[in-house]
Amino acid sequence: MAEPFPRWKAYAVSLLTLAVPGLSHWFLGKKARAAAFFGIVIVTFLSGLALHGALFPLTSPNWLFRLGAVAQVGMGAIYAAALALGFGKLGLLEMADAMFGYGNTFLVTAGLMNMLLCMDAFDIAVGRKE
Amino acid sequence: MIQDHFLTLVLFSVLVALFFATLYHRDRRSFLLSVAKTLAWMVAGSVALAFVMLWTGR
Repeated sequence: MAEPFPRWKAYAVSLLTLAVPGLSHWFLGKKARAAAFFGIVIVTFLSGLALHGALFPLTSPNWLFRLGAVAQVGMGAIYAAALALGFGKLGLLEMADAMFGYGNTFLVTAGLMNMLLCMDAFDIAVGRKE
Repeated sequence: MIQDHFLTLVLFSVLVALFFATLYHRDRRSFLLSVAKTLAWMVAGSVALAFVMLWTGR
C-alpha cells in the first residue's frame, strides 16, 4: 500500500471530487473505480434534470428546498454550472410535472453520492481504506 | 404512466446499487451479490409500499 498522505493533502485530494466526480479516486490511482463513479454520478444527475427535477438555490424561502439544496451542492462545480446555465428551474410548471419528485430525488441523490465519494477518497488518502 | 413510474424506480435502484457495490466491494462475486441484493430490496420494497398505499388510500 502507498504511503498515507498528510491530513492537509488528504483534504485537498478529497475535494477534487467536487470539481469532477471521481477525480479524487483517479488521483489516488483507483482509475477503474473513478471511471465507474464518474459514470454513475453523472447519469444520476442528468437523469434528474431529464425528469424535470429542480436545482434548489440555497436561498430558497422553503426550508425543505434549502435542505435539498444542501444535498445538491455536493455536486460541486457541476451544480454551480448547471444552475448558472439555467437548468433545473424551479417554477410552478415544473412543480406540476408528474416526474418532478423523481427528478429531485435523483438530483439530491447525485449530490449525496458525490459527498460520500469525497469522504471515501479521504479515507483512502489517509490510509484507512484500500 | 405506471410503467414510467416503475422504470424510473428501476433506474434509480440500479444506479444506487451500482454505486454502493463499487464503493464497498472489491471482488466480482461480492460486487454482483451486493448489486443483486440492493436491487431486489429496493424494487420489492418500493412496490410493496406502493401496494400498501394503494390499499390503504381512499
